[in-house]
Amino acid sequence: MFGGRLRAQSELAWPVSLRLLLLAVLAVVAVIGAVRLGAVSLSTAAVLDAIRGRGDDATITIVRELRLPRALQAALAGAALAVSGATFQALLRNPLAEPYILGVSSGAAVGAVSTVVTGWAVRFVWALPTAAFVGAVLSMLLVFRIAFSVGRALDTRVLLLAGVVVSAFLVAITWLMLTFADTDAVRSAIFWMMGSHANASWRSVGILLTCLLPALAILFALARPLNLLAIGETTAAYLGASVERTKLVAFATATLLTAASVSVSGTIGFVGLVVPHAIRLIWGGDNRALLPCSALAGATFLVAADTVSRSLAGANELPIGIVTALVGVPCFVWLLRRPTAGFAS
Amino acid sequence: MPSRSRALLCALSLLLIACGGPGARTTADTVRVATEAATAGPIDLTDDLGATIHLTRPAKRIVSLIPSATESLIAIGAAPLLVGRTRYDTASAIASIPSVGGGIDPSLEAIVQLEPDLVVGWGTDARAGLRARLASAGIPMFSLATEDTSDIFRGIRNLGRLTGRDSAAGDVARSIRATLDSVRQSVAGKPTPRVMYVVFADPPMTAGPRTFIGQLIGLAGGKSIFDDVSANWPNVAMEEIVRRDPDLLIVPVGEFKQNTLERFRGLAGWRSLRAVRDRRVVAVSADLLSRPSPSIAQSAKVLRDAIHPDLVSAAPGAR
Repeated sequence: MFGGRLRAQSELAWPVSLRLLLLAVLAVVAVIGAVRLGAVSLSTAAVLDAIRGRGDDATITIVRELRLPRALQAALAGAALAVSGATFQALLRNPLAEPYILGVSSGAAVGAVSTVVTGWAVRFVWALPTAAFVGAVLSMLLVFRIAFSVGRALDTRVLLLAGVVVSAFLVAITWLMLTFADTDAVRSAIFWMMGSHANASWRSVGILLTCLLPALAILFALARPLNLLAIGETTAAYLGASVERTKLVAFATATLLTAASVSVSGTIGFVGLVVPHAIRLIWGGDNRALLPCSALAGATFLVAADTVSRSLAGANELPIGIVTALVGVPCFVWLLRRPTAGFAS
Repeated sequence: MPSRSRALLCALSLLLIACGGPGARTTADTVRVATEAATAGPIDLTDDLGATIHLTRPAKRIVSLIPSATESLIAIGAAPLLVGRTRYDTASAIASIPSVGGGIDPSLEAIVQLEPDLVVGWGTDARAGLRARLASAGIPMFSLATEDTSDIFRGIRNLGRLTGRDSAAGDVARSIRATLDSVRQSVAGKPTPRVMYVVFADPPMTAGPRTFIGQLIGLAGGKSIFDDVSANWPNVAMEEIVRRDPDLLIVPVGEFKQNTLERFRGLAGWRSLRAVRDRRVVAVSADLLSRPSPSIAQSAKVLRDAIHPDLVSAAPGAR
């Protein structure tokens, strides 16, 4: 399926199709687990009955209206964040790059918090996600505007700095709004900023899927030029990649993907940073395999984290960002320390 | 403004839960009818944090940092003694007196400038800092920790003592009790619908059984579906709400006059509830219901009318 011109250390590893199959199976298992587990645990048979509309009303509602859309939204958001993170890491050639590095989350927060503070979020269900998406896109445009105004070509270092300062500016605006907001609004806003899939619905799943599919197609198609960019922009140009176009399309697609994810589920950290690194550590950095593998692994990871976040503390729910970090960091450190990780030498 | 005090109340209760507050609750449950005449002599009184406050004479210049305490002071006729309030107070009687900012984060300078001889403040450990700083300015602070109805009655009695208006405080307490009794009697023998009080819809938060709201729901002839929780203002999982499927949702509505029923019909989970499908969603004034003050008499009637709409005009105490 994917040839291997840019093999990393794991030459002996499984063929790409087998990796994808394994990860897809894991993702499906995670979704099934997510629908079964929660404040009330259900058997697989009860879940299947409820999906077909059999059983008691409460169980049907819990499965069809709450758990299933929530698990699917977590899966789609996880895939979006992981692919977006992998793309940013390749584009910026920076291991610390993650989906929010260009200020997308701060822009989304300004949009979301403005609807919370003005009360629009309470009056219209669609107001908050729409404003978050618009805020994210506007902040992205602002970052690119600044980056392009500095040099002729898109300098990734300038882009990074523009992202950092725009982000800082937008965070200040968010807190300024919250300083003068009432306590209800502050609570809602902070809850949103911590990220959660609690508000998942079939509509949000549909919207996310509509954004995810074309974005994945575009980014997977750019995998080879991204591989070349990883060597260096000049070399990539010599090797026939249209460097500037690749960068622009990949940045814009990855950012819009992140914006879509943030607008439905808030800012969920760590997935976009660590999942691509983990895949890279296990199977190497060829983007043609890395991007689809990251998508499936990100989906699995976020579905599992969401399940833990809502079943661990009884009727209460843990913020999902706490789970992704508490579970993800030890796993990642373990991967990093493996002798075959390739970071030692 | 309306929803702010409710939010403050929630913030306060969260803080109280966080600090566990063993000293926050004194024993007195019954209200003794205050027989003391309005004294002009010194007053020693222990507040809800266990600190003893000494006043050489009844307070004459009071800054109240708690909107519900402000309402209690107005109810016992102490409005003329108020020299400072918070920005969350809505009573027209005190609209003209200056605000010192928020109740949790007031401006110390603004308070000192008003030269009060008593500050009534929130009974949370965060306020220990405020108490110490006020003490160094020679201003005593009396802390109130209010969760259930007995706390409300104790607060009214204590505010009566501090202002030398014990008998007025006793009258107010008796009047509240009379109304609560009439509400209780009006629902005697009626079926008790299963109620969820929706403090917040997103993420869902309700009132626990040991809050004044939880107690008033029982008194008003309803049964809270979350009367088994231990926290006072618990976050609850949507799944658990769907599973317990209440007959009725009571939703405090604040400054944003949204169409409550329509909003719930658009929210995942909520829209599947029987109460929402049967349009049994009742909006109540968050401004009224959020205040653990003498207004609980009115709150009890509002809740009773929400839970038993057939009693709205029939029963005694409906007006």
